[in-house]
Amino acid sequence: MTRAVTVGLRATVRAAVTEADTATAMGSGDVPVLATPRLLALAEAAAYAAVAPQLADGLTTVGTSVSLEHRRASPLGTEVVVEAELTEVDGSRLVFGFIARVDGTDDVVLGAGTVERVVLDRARFIARARARDS
Amino acid sequence: MTEVRAEMVANVWQVVASEGDAVADGDTLVILESMKMEIPVLAEAPGTLTKLAVAEGDVVQEGDLIAVIE
Repeated sequence: MTRAVTVGLRATVRAAVTEADTATAMGSGDVPVLATPRLLALAEAAAYAAVAPQLADGLTTVGTSVSLEHRRASPLGTEVVVEAELTEVDGSRLVFGFIARVDGTDDVVLGAGTVERVVLDRARFIARARARDS
Repeated sequence: MTEVRAEMVANVWQVVASEGDAVADGDTLVILESMKMEIPVLAEAPGTLTKLAVAEGDVVQEGDLIAVIE
């Protein structure tokens, strides 16, 4: 980590709910609304993006733990915005809080939670994962 | 005699040192893997590695003996 990875770093991702994002399409359920795993993917993407610009070449983050509340159903076409903020740095372990809202509103919260990611060397990590499979 | 013990539950990813090796303070003995991370286990004193209690692929619990340096 050559640049500062400090509490308060944040990033936002946006996505409109399409057929591909539904519980039906993702196999996580049978209703045509935003799937919980899709919401998690947006939260992880926001957390990843919050610190990625700060990392030295060759380093990345991978997810290790998550806590997620999915509070409100989002039908097709809903514009979802998820903001993640780095709230804790413990060596290589990073803790983020996230909140998901309907875009353009301040108070319609779809979901919220925390994700943890760890900083590591991308190439070494991939090589280690492959070695385990052989 | 110095006992080196695991500080967390982990998988033994690589065994770097061998029994009989002369080690210096800070040398890497084994590399554990926990929460997707590599965690080196270092010699905490100089001496001879008289016992290496783990093998690659083992699962260690917090407090388990990893190595003995005399």
